[in-house]
Amino acid sequence: MDGVSYQRFPKVKIRELKDEYAKFELRDTDASMANALRRVMIAEVPTIAIDLVEIEVNSSVLNDEFIAHRLGLIPLTSSRAMSMRFSRDCDACDGDGQCEYCSVEFHLRAKCMSDQTLDVTSKDLVSSDHTVQPVDVGGFENSDRGIIIVKLRRGQELKLRAIARKGIGKDHAKWSPAATVTFMYEPEIHINEEMMESLTLEEKQSFVDSSPTRVFDIDANTHQVVVVDREAYTYDDEVLKKAEAMGKPGLVEIYAKEDSFIFSVESTGAIKASELVLNAIEVLKHKLDAVTLSDDTVEADDQFGELGAHMRGG
Amino acid sequence: MGLKQEEILLSNNSINSNVGEIPIDKQKLAAPIKSALDKYQLVPEFLKVRGLVKQHLDSFNYFVNTGIKKIVCANDMIVSDVDPVFSSGLKMYAAPILVNIEYTQGSRGVKMRAEKNDLVIGRMPIMLRSCCCVLYGKDEAELARLGECPLDPGGYFIIKGTDKVMLIQEQLSKNRIIIDADKKGNINASVTSSSEATKSKTVIQMEKEKIYLLLNQFVKKIPIMVVMKAMGMESDQEVVQMLGRDPRYSALLLPSIEECAGINIYTQEQALQFLEAKLKRSMYADRASEKEGRALSILRVVFLANVPVRSDNFRPKCLYVAVMLRRMMDAILNKDAMDDKAKQVLRCHRSYLFKNSRSLRKHKRLCGEQASGAIWQLISLLFEDLFKTTITEVKRHIDTVLSKPSRSSALDPSLFLRTKEIITGGLERTLSTGNFDIKCFRMHRKGMTQVLARLSFIGTLGYMTKIQPQFEKSRKVSGPRALQPSQCYSLGVEDLELLSGEELHTPNSFLVILNGLILGKHRRPQHFAVALRKLRRAGKVGEFVSVFVNEKQLNKSVVVVYVGVRILVILKHICLRVVGMHIFWKLFDVELYLCADQLCVYIASDGGRVCRPLVIADKGISRIKEHHMKELLDGVRSFDDFLRHGLIEYLDVNEENNALIALYEGEATPDTTHIEIEPFTILGVCAGLIPYPHHNQSPRNTYQCAMGKQAMGNIAYNQLNRMDTLLYLLVHPQRPLLTTRTIELNATVAVMSYSGYDIEDAIVMNKSSLDRGFGRCIVMKRYSGVIQKYDNGASDRILRPQRTGVGSEKMQILDDDGIAAPGEIIRPDDVYINKQSPVITRGSRITSAEPLPDKVALSSDRNENPCIKILIRHTRRPEVGDKFSSRHGQKGVCGTIIQQEDFPFSERGICPDLIMDPHGFPSRMTVGKMIELLGGKAGVSCGRFHYGSAFGEPSGHADKVEAISETLIKHGFSYNGKDFLYSGSAAYALSFSLCPFLGS
Repeated sequence: MDGVSYQRFPKVKIRELKDEYAKFELRDTDASMANALRRVMIAEVPTIAIDLVEIEVNSSVLNDEFIAHRLGLIPLTSSRAMSMRFSRDCDACDGDGQCEYCSVEFHLRAKCMSDQTLDVTSKDLVSSDHTVQPVDVGGFENSDRGIIIVKLRRGQELKLRAIARKGIGKDHAKWSPAATVTFMYEPEIHINEEMMESLTLEEKQSFVDSSPTRVFDIDANTHQVVVVDREAYTYDDEVLKKAEAMGKPGLVEIYAKEDSFIFSVESTGAIKASELVLNAIEVLKHKLDAVTLSDDTVEADDQFGELGAHMRGG
Repeated sequence: MGLKQEEILLSNNSINSNVGEIPIDKQKLAAPIKSALDKYQLVPEFLKVRGLVKQHLDSFNYFVNTGIKKIVCANDMIVSDVDPVFSSGLKMYAAPILVNIEYTQGSRGVKMRAEKNDLVIGRMPIMLRSCCCVLYGKDEAELARLGECPLDPGGYFIIKGTDKVMLIQEQLSKNRIIIDADKKGNINASVTSSSEATKSKTVIQMEKEKIYLLLNQFVKKIPIMVVMKAMGMESDQEVVQMLGRDPRYSALLLPSIEECAGINIYTQEQALQFLEAKLKRSMYADRASEKEGRALSILRVVFLANVPVRSDNFRPKCLYVAVMLRRMMDAILNKDAMDDKAKQVLRCHRSYLFKNSRSLRKHKRLCGEQASGAIWQLISLLFEDLFKTTITEVKRHIDTVLSKPSRSSALDPSLFLRTKEIITGGLERTLSTGNFDIKCFRMHRKGMTQVLARLSFIGTLGYMTKIQPQFEKSRKVSGPRALQPSQCYSLGVEDLELLSGEELHTPNSFLVILNGLILGKHRRPQHFAVALRKLRRAGKVGEFVSVFVNEKQLNKSVVVVYVGVRILVILKHICLRVVGMHIFWKLFDVELYLCADQLCVYIASDGGRVCRPLVIADKGISRIKEHHMKELLDGVRSFDDFLRHGLIEYLDVNEENNALIALYEGEATPDTTHIEIEPFTILGVCAGLIPYPHHNQSPRNTYQCAMGKQAMGNIAYNQLNRMDTLLYLLVHPQRPLLTTRTIELNATVAVMSYSGYDIEDAIVMNKSSLDRGFGRCIVMKRYSGVIQKYDNGASDRILRPQRTGVGSEKMQILDDDGIAAPGEIIRPDDVYINKQSPVITRGSRITSAEPLPDKVALSSDRNENPCIKILIRHTRRPEVGDKFSSRHGQKGVCGTIIQQEDFPFSERGICPDLIMDPHGFPSRMTVGKMIELLGGKAGVSCGRFHYGSAFGEPSGHADKVEAISETLIKHGFSYNGKDFLYSGSAAYALSFSLCPFLGS
C-alpha cells in the first residue's frame, strides 16, 4: 500500500449551463463520488424557506396549517444562504430564530374587495430583505403572477407574518434547492460492423426501430448503422434482445463506463444551477473536513492505524 | 373525489372511437359506414333522470304521499266498545303528521258530529331531498346559499344529529307463489301475502304424499281438501278439474282426498267445524268472527290475504289454491326437466344461477321472486304498527272516560291523540337504532339502518346503494363474496309501486297474472305480451311494467278476477282487441312477463322490482340512431323522450328472461331484442371506480369495493362547515390520471423490492414527497359539552379562565368567555371549556400533539340545554403504519419512510413517491392495476387523461394497452413501462429493469 496514491483528478466538462439548468460530464472518478455529489445537491445545500407563520386573519377556505405548508414550499432566492446562520446556532438571537442574521421576515396582507376571485400569490409576500424574495417564476407561460397561495372571494381576508430561515433538504424537502439531480453512466456502444453488414436493409431498419429512443440510425448514403446519440440509450436492453431475436447475438455490445457520468441538474430557482453544483462541492468539502482528523489526535493512530495517517494527508 | 359522477361521466364523451363493426346483414353492409352508435351519453342522462339514490327518495315520497294515507284510511275508525255510537274518523296529511278527526257521539238517539282539523299526532323524520324536504327542487345556487353541498345525494335521515341510511332490503316478492323444498325434501308452495290491511304467509306443503296447509292461526297443519271444502268447494271432482285433466295431477291429489274422506268431512259445515277445533286460542276474538265462526273469517282475511273476497265469494281463493297446487305438482313431476328448461337467455350472469339450481327452486324463481324491499314498505310497517298502537291507546282512554258513570263535559278525543308521543318516539328510536321491532307483524330485525359514514363521498354513495340480502343463512353455497346476479346491471335500483301480476291456468290458454292475482286467461300469450309491450313503448302503460310469458298450459276454466280496476280494464281491452286500443290513463309501473314452463303471463307492477333500461332492437337493429344521440347531445331530447318514443324500455329480471340482450350493437343477431346501453353499467358506484376491473381477479374487485369507501378525499362542498364527529379530509386531492370516475391521489409508483421494508404488502414512502404534501390529511374531531340543568335548580356554568395562578397554564387557549378560541394551538392537557358543575369543576381535555380548534358552535340540545361543540382540527402527514391502497384492492401499510436522496432514481431524474413490492402482483392477478400504471405513465408523458372504464375497450371508453404502449414509446419510454433505476444510496444500477409507473 505504501506510496501508492489513489488520488484521482476528476474533470468536469460543462455541456450546457442556464440559470436553472446545468448539464455536465464528470470524468475520472467513480460512482461513489458522483452519487455523493448528487445526494448533497438534493439534501444538503442550504436554502432559505419560510419556516414559521403567524396568522393574524385568515378567513379563506384553506385552513391555517394548509396555508403555512404552501408558504413553506415557495422557493425563495437564497444566494445568501451559504453565508447565513442556522437559527439553531445563531448567537445573536439565542437560537429563537428571529434576528437578521438567521431569519428574514415576510408579511402578507390580502383582502378581496371585488366580486372576482382574488389570487393571492407569492408576489404578495413582502420581504424585509431585498436579497431574499420569492423566486420569479416568469419565463413560463402566464405565470407572471407568481405562485398561487390561496384564492379569496369577496370579503375574505388573509393577513400573516412569516419568518424564513436557513435549512437543508434533509430536514424538510422545502429547503431542497434541487428539482432534479440525476446522472447516468455514459454508455459505450460498439457495433460489430462485420455482422451488421450481413443484415439486409430491412433488418437494419427494424433493428434501429427496436430501440424506444433514437440511439441508432441508418446512414442515408452508406446504409450503415451508426450510433447517433448514445446518451439516448436508456439501458433497456431492447436492442440486445432484438439482436438476439434476429439470431445475431453480439451484434452490438453496450457497456456502461464505470468512471464517466453525465449529470443533469435542475434547480428550483432558489439558487442558480451553477451555484447549486459549486455549493454542493463546498458542502462536501466541509463534510470531508469534519472527517479529516486533526494532527494532534495521537491516539487516533492507534485507533485508525494507516487509515488515520492517510486521513491526515499522509 | 368530490366530482359528481355525471359530470365525470360526461367528460368521457370526448372519446368516441369507432368500434370494429361486424356487418350483420345486407342492409347494414349497404349502409354508409356507420360506427356502432355511442349510446354512452344515455348513461349520464339516465342518472340525471333517476339518480343514484332515487330509489330512496321515490320510496319515501311514495310513503309520505300515498302509503301513510292508506294506512290511516285502513285504520280510520275508533269505535268505542263502551258506547258504540262514538266513533271518529281520521284523515292523514304529511309531516308533522296531521290528522283531521271527526267524531260522533250520541246520547239517547241524538247524534252530534264534531270536527277537528290538523291535529298533530306525531312527527315524521324527513328524508333529505325528498318531496317534504326543504332542499327539494332547489338548484345548485340555492343549495349553496343554504350551506348544503349540491352534490350531496340526499336519501338519508338525520336522527339525533347523525345521518342514518335505511338499507334496501332484499326480500321475497310479496303475493307470488314460490315453490321450494324444505330440508326433508318436502315440497312447499308458499305465498307471502300483503295487502293494506293484512299480511300473512300461507304455506301449502306436501308431506308423505298428502297435501297440507300451514297457517299460523291454526295449531296443526290442515289437510288441504278440508280447506277447499271449507271454502265451499265441496265436490272433489271440481277440485280435480281445477288442477287439470291430466291424470297425473289427480293421482297426486288422491291421497289428500282420501285423507279428507277418512276424517268424514264432506260438507262446508263439517270442514268449518274441523277448522274451528284447530284454531289457536287467542286472547281476544273479535265480534264479527264470533257470529259466523272464526275459521271462516280467518279463511277470508288471513288465508291468502292478497286474494280479496268480495261478498263471500271464495271462488278466487279456491282458484288460487288450485294454481298453487298445480305449481307444486309440476315441480314434483318435472324435477329433472326443470333444470334443462332454463334457457340461457342472458348470457352474462346465468352461470351462477345454474349452480344454485340444485334445489327445486327454479332459476327464474330465484332471481325473479326476489325484490328489493323498498324502504317505504319498512317505514310503513313501522308506522302502521305505531299508529295502531296509538289508536288502541286512544281507544282505551276513550273507553275509560266513557265508562265513567258521570261525565261532566263532552269528550274530546283530540286530547288523547295529542298527548301521545308514541309515533314520534317510535319512529325516531327505530331509525336511530336500526332495530325494527314491530309487534303486530312479529318482525324483529336488527341493523336496518346504518350510520352514513362521511369518510368519503364514494363511501356515502355506496351506503345509499347498498342492498342488504336476507338469505345469507340459507345460502351457504354461494359464499359471502358471490355476487347476486339478479342485481347486476341495475343502474339505480328502481322502486315501483303497488301491483304485481300473476297467473292462472287453462288448457291452451295462458293465465294472465297481475302482481299475484289471477286476472284471466289468454289464448295467444305472445300476442298479448307483444301488445302490452307495444303499449308500454308507446307510453300508454307505465314504463316499469314488465311482461313475462311463461309458455305452458294448465287448466281450462277461464276466470276473470278483479284486481286494481284500472288494470283490469286495460287487460280487458287487450284481450278483446289486441291492436289499436286506447287507454286513457297511465298505469303504475307495470311489468309483464310470460313464463315458459308455467303457461302464464305475468304482469308485474309492484314495488321493489329491480329494473334497468335497455335499448330496444328490432331484429337486431338498434332503434336508437345517430340522429337521436345528436339530439340528446344538443339537449333537444331527454332520457324521458327516449322512453316515451319507445327507443328504450325498462326490463325487470323476469322480463329479461324473455329477451335476448346483446352487449354491443355489433354482436346483435336478428334474434336480439335488446341492446345494452353500456356494458359498464353492470357495476355499481364503488366498483365503477376501478380502472380495468375486467382484467382483475374478481375478489380483488370485491375488496376494492369495500376499500374504496375508506378512501379519503373531499366529502362535500360544505365539508368545512360541517360539525361531524370525525372527518378526514385530504389536503391535496387529485383527479386520477387514469380516469374512470374519481378518486384521490396520483403517485409515482415504483414496483420493486427495496430495503426490505416493503415485504408483506408494505409500502416504502419518499420523505420529500411527504414534505411536499403527498397524502397529507386533515382530521376533524368534534367534542361537545352540555350545560346541564339539574333537578334541584342548579346548573352548570362556564367561567372566565384564570389568567394567573395554579392551573392557569392549562387555560391558555381559552377566550374570556371560557371556551377555547379557534386557531389556538392546543397542548396536551389543555382545557377546552371551563365548565363548573355543581359538584365538580371539569374541563374536557385531550392529549395529542398540536391540534387546534377549528370552530366553536353553540347550540342547544333537545332539552333546551345550551350545548357547546368544538371542532378540533389536526393536520396529519402519513406516518409509518398508515394504510394506503390503490384502486385494485391492493392495500398496504407504510413500512418505512426514506429520504429522497436514498430513493432510487432514473436517469431522467424521476424519483418515485412510493415503492411497492412486486410480489404483490403474481398471486393477486391484478392485471388491471398493471394497465392502470401503464396508462397513468402514458397519461403524464402525453398530458392527457386516460380512461379505464370497465369493458370499455371495444366501445372506446378505455384505452387499449397497445395504444398506451405506443404513447410511451413516443415519449422515449419502454413499451412495457419499465425504467432503469439507480440505487440512491450507492448509485449502483439496480440490476433488473424496474417499472416506475404512475397510478394512484
